Amino acid sequence: MSDKQLEIRGLRARIVGGEEILKGVDLVVPRGEVHALMGPNGSGKSTLAKVIAGDPQYEVTGGDIILEGQSILEMEPDERAREGLYLAFQYPVEVPGVSIANFLRLALNARREEGDEIGVMEFYKKLQRAVKELNWDDSIIERNLHEGFSGGEKKRSEILQLLVLEPRYAILDETDSGLDVDALKVVSQGVNAARGPNFGALVITHYQRLLNHIVPDRVHVMVGGRVVRDGPKELAMELDQKGYEWIREAVGA
Amino acid sequence: MAALTDNPAVDLGAVESIVSAYGEPAWLADERRAALRAYADQPFPTEKTEEWRYTQLKRFSFAGLELAKAPKDESVPERISMRIADSDAEGVIVHKGNKVVMHKAAIKEAGVVFTDLRTALRDHEALVREHLYDVVNARQTKFTALNSALWENGTFVYVPRDVEVELPLGAFTTADSGGIGLGRTLIVVDVNARLTFIDEYTSEPFDERLFFDAATEIVLKDGAKLRYVSLQNWSRNVAHINKLRAHLGRDARLESVTVSLGADAARAEVESRLEGPGSESEMLGLYFADEGQHFNQFTLQHHATPRGFSDVLFKGAVRDASQAVYSGMIIVDPHAQKTDAYQTNRNLLLDEAAEVVSIPQLEIAANDVKCSHGSTTGPVPEDQRFYLMSRGLRPEVAEHVLVTGFLYEVMSRVTLPKVAEYVERVVQAKLGVPGVKEKL
Repeated sequence: MSDKQLEIRGLRARIVGGEEILKGVDLVVPRGEVHALMGPNGSGKSTLAKVIAGDPQYEVTGGDIILEGQSILEMEPDERAREGLYLAFQYPVEVPGVSIANFLRLALNARREEGDEIGVMEFYKKLQRAVKELNWDDSIIERNLHEGFSGGEKKRSEILQLLVLEPRYAILDETDSGLDVDALKVVSQGVNAARGPNFGALVITHYQRLLNHIVPDRVHVMVGGRVVRDGPKELAMELDQKGYEWIREAVGA
Repeated sequence: MAALTDNPAVDLGAVESIVSAYGEPAWLADERRAALRAYADQPFPTEKTEEWRYTQLKRFSFAGLELAKAPKDESVPERISMRIADSDAEGVIVHKGNKVVMHKAAIKEAGVVFTDLRTALRDHEALVREHLYDVVNARQTKFTALNSALWENGTFVYVPRDVEVELPLGAFTTADSGGIGLGRTLIVVDVNARLTFIDEYTSEPFDERLFFDAATEIVLKDGAKLRYVSLQNWSRNVAHINKLRAHLGRDARLESVTVSLGADAARAEVESRLEGPGSESEMLGLYFADEGQHFNQFTLQHHATPRGFSDVLFKGAVRDASQAVYSGMIIVDPHAQKTDAYQTNRNLLLDEAAEVVSIPQLEIAANDVKCSHGSTTGPVPEDQRFYLMSRGLRPEVAEHVLVTGFLYEVMSRVTLPKVAEYVERVVQAKLGVPGVKEKL
C-alpha cells in the first residue's frame, strides 16, 4: 500500500472539555484523488476538517491522522501546513491591516529556507496567475485579508490561497455554502485547476450541486461522528435524491 | 507606592541664574518667578489624584537629579542624522541638552519663523510674548509648572496668515547625559495658514537617568491647519512626561499623532480645546510597551464652542510585564451645541503578565450633541492566530502580522509616509521581526 495518502484512522475528538463529536472516523484520501465527504448537519464533518488542521479548540481523544506515513497529531497547525496540508475555511476570518499579497508572501516564505525567499517577480507572477484563474480583478491582492469581503469573496480567497500555496492535500469545508451559481462555477474551476497527480482533496458539502462541478473520485458519508458509507461518485446523487434518512436507518444511527 | 518628593535643585536660584545667564526680558523673568511659586504651591500628584490614578508615579520621580546642563559632546547622534537624511523636511532643528546642535532651514515660504526659542526671543520677542504660556502654563500641573519656571530652550514656529508650508518642519530632542531635562515647543499657525510639524524625542542609551519634562503649546488661529506628530523613542534610561495642548480657533483643524515606543516610563497628556465654531481635532495615538515599560496617556477633548468635531483613536499593544494606562475625557460645555465627539481606545495584550487600564469618560453639559466612547482590551484573537498558522506562518510571525495589523488602523491615518514607515520599523524591531533593526 502506498504511503502517498492522507489517512484518518479511528479518530476521536471533542471540543476541549466537551462531548465527543468524532467517534472513530476512518477515511483515506490518496494523493491524486478528490473525495467528497457528505452528511447531515451535526454529523461532525466540519469538526473533522478543523481537527485535521490542528484547531486548538479541539482535542483528540483517540486514533491518528497520518500524512504520507507520518503521524501529524503532535504537530502545530503551522507545521501541518508546511507539511502540505491546507484547510479552506467554512468561515474565513478577517485579519485587519494585512494585505492578501503580503500575507501570501509570508506564507510561501514560511515553506522555504531562510535566505531562499521567493523573488518578487516570481511571486507576483504566481499570484496573478491564480487571480486570473478565478476571474478576479488584480486589485484584490492589495486589499486587506477578508476585510469587508462578501461571503462569496471570502470563499474565493480561500481558493486563491490554495492555488498559490499548492498544498499536497486540501480539505474544503463547505466551500459552496453561500455561493451563487456563478461564484460556484468560478470556485470549482479553481479547485479543478489544482487537480493533478500531486494533489489530494476532501471536499465537504451538503449538496450534490458542488459535485456537478468538482466531480469526486469517491464519496464518503458521515453520520453521528463516523464515516458510515464509502462509494463511487454515484452515491452522492443517490443521497441527493433520497436524503440522509435511509442511511441513518441502514446503519441504525 | 512611594510618593514623589521635592528636589532642592528646583528653587529661585535656578530661575534667577537662567534669567541672568540669558539676559531675559523682565516680563519673562516675572513669568518664571510666578511659575516657580505655582510649582511650590501645588502638591505632587499621588495615586489618589484622579488624573494620575494607575500611574506608576515613582517612575516619574526627579528627586535627587540636577537640572540638565550642556551635553558631553555637541555632535548630532548618528540615529538622528540617518532620520534627517531619510526625511523630506524643509527645516530641522536638533536640541541636545541645553544646546542647539543643528539648525537647518531652507523654507521657501515667506515670513515663516522656524528657530529655537532663544533666538526667537531675541528676534521676534513680541510674537513669543504674545503666545508663550497661553496654552501650557504653570497653572495646570506640577510638571507644567516645573517646565514653565525652568525651561532653557525649545523650538518656535510661526506661520503667517494664508501661508502654506508645503514640506514638514521638525525638531529632534536628544541627550547624552542625565538630570532634569526640559523641552518646550511653541507653534503658532496664523489665520488660514498650514503647517506640518514633527517633534521627535530620541537618544542613544547612556548611563545616567534622565527625567524629561516637555511642554508643547499649539495655537491654531481661525482656519489654520496643522498636522502634528509627537514621536517618543527615548533610550530606556529616560522617563518622559509631555503635555501637548492645542487651542483651536474657528474652522481650525488639528491632526495629531502621539507615538510612544521608547523610554522606561512615559506619560503623554494630549489635549485640545475647541474655541472656535466648526473647529476639528483628530488625535491619534499609538503605543507599544515591552520589557517592563510603563506608558500612560491622557486625552482631553474640550468642546468650548458649538459645532466642533473631535475624534480620539488611541491603540496600543503591551507585551511582557509592561503596563499601559489610557484615560480619556470629553468635556462639552453647556453652550457647545451640535458637538460631535468620539473617543476610542483599543489594546492588545500579548502576555499574561501585561496589564492595561482604560478609563474613558464623558462630561456633557449640552443637550444637542453626538458623543460616543469605547474601549476594548484583549489578547490576540485565537481564531485569527489559528487562521494564520493554518497557512504555515510560524507562531511568532503570526504574532507580528496580527500586531502590525492591529496598529494599522492608526498608521493608515498618518498621512506622512516617512513617519509611518519609521514607526512601523521600530514596532517590528520591538517585535523581533527577523532582518529589521532599529539602530539603538
